[in-house]
Amino acid sequence: MNAALAGESLASYGAAFESARAVAGATEAARSQAFARFAELGFPSARDEAWKYTSLRRLESRRFQAARRSCDALDSPDVAVLSPHRVVLVNGAVAERSGLPAGMRVRTLDEALRDGEPQSTLLRVPAGGGTERFAALNVALCADALVVDIDERAAPEQPLHLVLVSAGAEARMAHPRLLIRAARGSTARIILHHAGDDAAEQFVNSFVEVEVATEAKLHLYRLQAAGTRSFLIERIEATVGARASLLMHDAALDASLSRLDLNVRLAAPGATTELSGLFLADGARHLDAHVRVDHLAPDTTSLVDYRGIAAGRGRGVFNGKAVVHVDAQRSNARQTNRNLLLTPGAEIDSKPELEIYADDVKCSHGSTTGQLDAAALFYLRSRGLGEREARSALTRAFAGAVLSRMDLATYAAAVHAVLDERLTRLLDTPA
Amino acid sequence: MLSIRDLHARIGARNILKGVNLEVRPGEVHAIMGPNGSGKSTLASVLAGRAGYEVTQGTVEYLGRDLLAMEPEERARAGVFLAFQYPVEIPGVNNAYLLKAALNAIRKQRGEPEVDAFDFLSLIRDKMKLMQMDESFLSRGVNEGFSGGEKKRNEILQMAVLEPKLALLDETDSGLDIDALRVVANGVNGLRAPDRAIVLVTHYQRLLDYIEPDVVHVLSDGRILRSGDKSLALELEKRGYDWVRQEAAVA
Repeated sequence: MNAALAGESLASYGAAFESARAVAGATEAARSQAFARFAELGFPSARDEAWKYTSLRRLESRRFQAARRSCDALDSPDVAVLSPHRVVLVNGAVAERSGLPAGMRVRTLDEALRDGEPQSTLLRVPAGGGTERFAALNVALCADALVVDIDERAAPEQPLHLVLVSAGAEARMAHPRLLIRAARGSTARIILHHAGDDAAEQFVNSFVEVEVATEAKLHLYRLQAAGTRSFLIERIEATVGARASLLMHDAALDASLSRLDLNVRLAAPGATTELSGLFLADGARHLDAHVRVDHLAPDTTSLVDYRGIAAGRGRGVFNGKAVVHVDAQRSNARQTNRNLLLTPGAEIDSKPELEIYADDVKCSHGSTTGQLDAAALFYLRSRGLGEREARSALTRAFAGAVLSRMDLATYAAAVHAVLDERLTRLLDTPA
Repeated sequence: MLSIRDLHARIGARNILKGVNLEVRPGEVHAIMGPNGSGKSTLASVLAGRAGYEVTQGTVEYLGRDLLAMEPEERARAGVFLAFQYPVEIPGVNNAYLLKAALNAIRKQRGEPEVDAFDFLSLIRDKMKLMQMDESFLSRGVNEGFSGGEKKRNEILQMAVLEPKLALLDETDSGLDIDALRVVANGVNGLRAPDRAIVLVTHYQRLLDYIEPDVVHVLSDGRILRSGDKSLALELEKRGYDWVRQEAAVA
């Protein structure tokens, strides 16, 4: 059961909401309703199954200033350029929109509303799930909502680099909101990049809605490199249409506490999704990924392969769930989660789940958590490699299985750079 | 080169080696034979520095150094090489990387510069030809998906590249068909040199048809019961191991 928001916490978020409401204009009613829902649901408790391994007590105890509507370039740390097409949101507000490729449009909330997009689409709060509260908070407080449209049959050559920055000397909260729609027959690549600095604790509550229309193909590359002291909660809500595919990579590399809820609905025959992910929970990082795939139609396919590395006082959580609904005959759902614990104090909780209501399906899931293979370590050392080098080679090999599938060079290089630096530091520290 | 004196070792509470004495000089090939469970593989593992074995008594001197005090990688860099009975599969670490890292670790120890990419490739190509291995092996994970014979050949390939001073071959013949055995034996024979010693650990005499030892030892219940020339191996093949044990018991 959830505890409704109360006391100081309510006062703090309430104050943020009051100032947001003052400039909400036409969206005021939707935002008020959303805030009421958030206040009703409150923060999750330890008894909440969806938050069993991830406590938000620390987040709940913090006070964050509301994000400013205007953004300050000084707040924005240097972010690697991963594509010539870049859109930057600082604290949830658009700071840069440069050189978009033909066939791709990016609009703000106001622009989309002016174009007649319904509020119910732009400011939707999906009911249920452990993160409805945060989806509601997002609607109540979002500074903007970015609508990315890929036109029918468009196939931009270069990816779109979407950067969500939360940084600066003050502890602020931001509620970035994205709606990404790949129209029929289109093919596109989008990098979803969380960036930050370590100056203060930031709270990022992001909501991303993805629609992949019939025969469209969307590659989504997520790079979670939020500030080391940040709290990041992100929900990605994706719907995949007939013979369409959502191909997703995730590299969760930073933040003090991060939680990803990725929900993919394979809504029409022939829909496919693939997710290949990696998290590196070292230091005191707590990284949680909840992945749910709903097979709602026949002949749908999902492949999930997520790997985790934890060290130090780090903690990783992976919850993978595939639900094959009654109409989803001839579906194929495969899920693997492999985890590596590098040091004794680290912890990884893995929970794979399958629910099958159709009878003609192929499903498999597996989860393993272990340490570096002692036999392999000895083998490498017996060839002259130092212990550190042997551990490094084996750790990189473990991550390499996911890295080798990253088919976008700039993205792969960015992930490699962070991993390299962190693994080097990690392995230099005696266990 | 290698001097083992009164070596006792155990795994947990189980005593495996119960006083092994062995002298190996440069240029020599020694075969250590014995029934299953006699301690052959334990001896090889202790010499290479595998964890899990406790040496309770005795000394091992290698080129004037206390071998047992050295880490596994120090032993390798000082020229000790163990060809594994069960080479480990390491997906994601490719063969070329391992060969290069190993070679450079040893070169560094000798005060030599790192090998450059061109010299490395030409060296590897030569040795692979010798071992009848396809070049595609280089980009594959270490032993990943290799057949038993391919794994053993890969061990000898590594040995040929690293040019150890002391090579320990642990049951390298097990699981090999006759053609693979010939290739492996060729590789080993190619490494015979006046400044290099080779210790073969084997259960069967078959390998010794191809690699002729200078000295044959019979290891049984953790002790070397008998040593002789290659004719001892033939006798073992004919009469089994029991007579050695019986004679030892009488003596």
